[in-house]
Amino acid sequence: MRRPTLLVRLATRNLRRQLRRSLLTSAAMVLGVALLVFSRSLASGAHEDWIEAGVRLGTGHVAIQAPGYRARRTLDDRLEASDLERVRSALGAPAVARHVVERTTRLEVQGLASSANGAVPVLVMGVEPATERRFSRLAERRVEGDYLPADDPLAAYMGRELAERLDVGPGSRVVLTAQDATGQVVGQLVRVRGIFETGLPDVDERIVHIPLATARSWLSAGGAATTVALLLDASGAVDPVARALDEALSPGRRIAVLRWQEAMPELEAAVRMDDFGDYVFHAVTLAIVALAIINTILMSVLQRTREFGVVRALGMTRGETGAQVLVEGVLLSATSGLIGIALGFLVTWTFFRNGLDYSFLMEEGFRAAGAVIDPVVRPHFDLLQLVGSLLFVFIIGVGASLYPAWRATRIDVAEAMKFEA
Amino acid sequence: MTTREVRDAPMGEPADRHPAAVRTDGLWKVFEHEGIEVEAVRDVSLTIQPGEFVVLAGPSGSGKTTLLNMIGGLTRPTRGRVRIEGRDITDLSERDLARWRLEEVGFVFQAYNLLPVLSALENAEFTLLLRGVPDDERRRRVESLFADIGLAGLEDRRPGKLSGGQQQRVAVARAVIGRPALVLADEPTANLDSRTSSALIDLMAELNREHGTTFLFATHDTELMRRARRFIKLVDGRVVEDERRDAPHPAAGVDGPPGSGPRHP
Repeated sequence: MRRPTLLVRLATRNLRRQLRRSLLTSAAMVLGVALLVFSRSLASGAHEDWIEAGVRLGTGHVAIQAPGYRARRTLDDRLEASDLERVRSALGAPAVARHVVERTTRLEVQGLASSANGAVPVLVMGVEPATERRFSRLAERRVEGDYLPADDPLAAYMGRELAERLDVGPGSRVVLTAQDATGQVVGQLVRVRGIFETGLPDVDERIVHIPLATARSWLSAGGAATTVALLLDASGAVDPVARALDEALSPGRRIAVLRWQEAMPELEAAVRMDDFGDYVFHAVTLAIVALAIINTILMSVLQRTREFGVVRALGMTRGETGAQVLVEGVLLSATSGLIGIALGFLVTWTFFRNGLDYSFLMEEGFRAAGAVIDPVVRPHFDLLQLVGSLLFVFIIGVGASLYPAWRATRIDVAEAMKFEA
Repeated sequence: MTTREVRDAPMGEPADRHPAAVRTDGLWKVFEHEGIEVEAVRDVSLTIQPGEFVVLAGPSGSGKTTLLNMIGGLTRPTRGRVRIEGRDITDLSERDLARWRLEEVGFVFQAYNLLPVLSALENAEFTLLLRGVPDDERRRRVESLFADIGLAGLEDRRPGKLSGGQQQRVAVARAVIGRPALVLADEPTANLDSRTSSALIDLMAELNREHGTTFLFATHDTELMRRARRFIKLVDGRVVEDERRDAPHPAAGVDGPPGSGPRHP
């Protein structure tokens, strides 16, 4: 196959022939692609932070519950000890286990917290203190006292607003009241050991953590739980892990597997909206880049009308003249795309590896979609995304060269011979 | 038997035993310009035998280039037919015409029309590259031809670094390197001084003699007219004179009266 070699040789030399024009177009592409890589990696990093913050405050990347629990939130929809055994077994599968960073078991019930100052509706979460401390952001948000100490079965950890409404602090006693697994309304005395503050009213005025063993005993729940929450190594692992768990746990339909997107639809919507804004910005940037390519290649084609006439007279087909122009576009965009990706990666990695600090733009504890957002955004590079960007730029290059290539195929040979550049 | 000796005519017509290099039958070309029809070539029927060295002369606008383009498959006739070496090319598809041009015709243009991004050698071997001739054979043929036509040592120069005469010699090399049956040259000496022009005509005459390549020129060049063995004159798109000579004419001229042969201006 000699013609492809010839087409590439002609295309390369023609690009070099108008070096300044080619370099200017290439520079526009390089900058556009570098900007794309930079902004995508930061957006991706920000979204990972949002998701991380969200799942650590909520039910993890993946939550395993009884099917009706999410809708009704009562102990009637709980996972019994036998269900939990099946879950444990499913979590041991290599396809799942390699992605699971942390898991915690919870028994949650809606009830009332009462003090001498009154009663406030709350969500009581019986948790495993040791794992929950690593899993939940609430432990990190402690502002007073301690998180649940291992040696205190009556310890309680609650939000600042709730504490203020109950007028309690570390050392104070609070009575929790809820309907137990048998339908009886039962009370449990606990002692406040620590107070947290997330900045999220829904969390700070509603959540109370107590030890799981205490909750099970108080609520006559035996070895049951309402949720097994999983933290994964990356949000990209959610689908494969959830699929594998679904397959392992679906027989009997007694256990449901929820992705974070289902558990926190508002967070997913926020990520999608932000992505959409990003895509619009990128589309505009790349449209400008595409126009630059069209301009460069089309000018080049028009200036070389006579040359296209000559090569056609000498025996090149219409298709080959078009292909020659396409090859020019492909070479220009592929080279610029690769350089742009490398530049974007280098700049982002060199200057923003430790994060881009937006704190001067936002107040402490900026919130979005039910999560407190860290003002320092760290870039997140996704190989698939980089390859996708390169492919996208390549498609733009080919797409932008199509019209000039078509013009080249339409050149009338005899007329082209009269053309003066 | 080579393909050049006997060609099958398309559309089931019997092959000519000894086909003409060029045969046109009732060839017309009508251009439409702003609603006005212009007859550039009118009812031209010609037969040129293999190995002829033919000049197509006539004043500007007489239809020389249009006729040459139709014979070379660059322009489609409005009416009539064109056969080259027995093959009717009139209705060939664009793709087949391109393939046919690549294999059978060499072109030399007035403005040299070398590709500026290729070296002299690459320009000369262009049609061989398109044909997929292997590297070593390609190089051997071009280097041998360059040596014959005085271009040795200039292989790597780009057209911009060559004189007009050198560029036109590269263009001639490009036209004949594929050993086509027919070379069509449109004003090949128009941009050259008389000495360079004469040397180029010598070169083409020699290629004609040695390889039997048929040459058809459209020209105003009196020297070329004088050296031609056949002189065809076009006026207003019609052939008004067609003179065969046994030897090159001692004098030539575009405006020579029909029957008297060309004369010097």
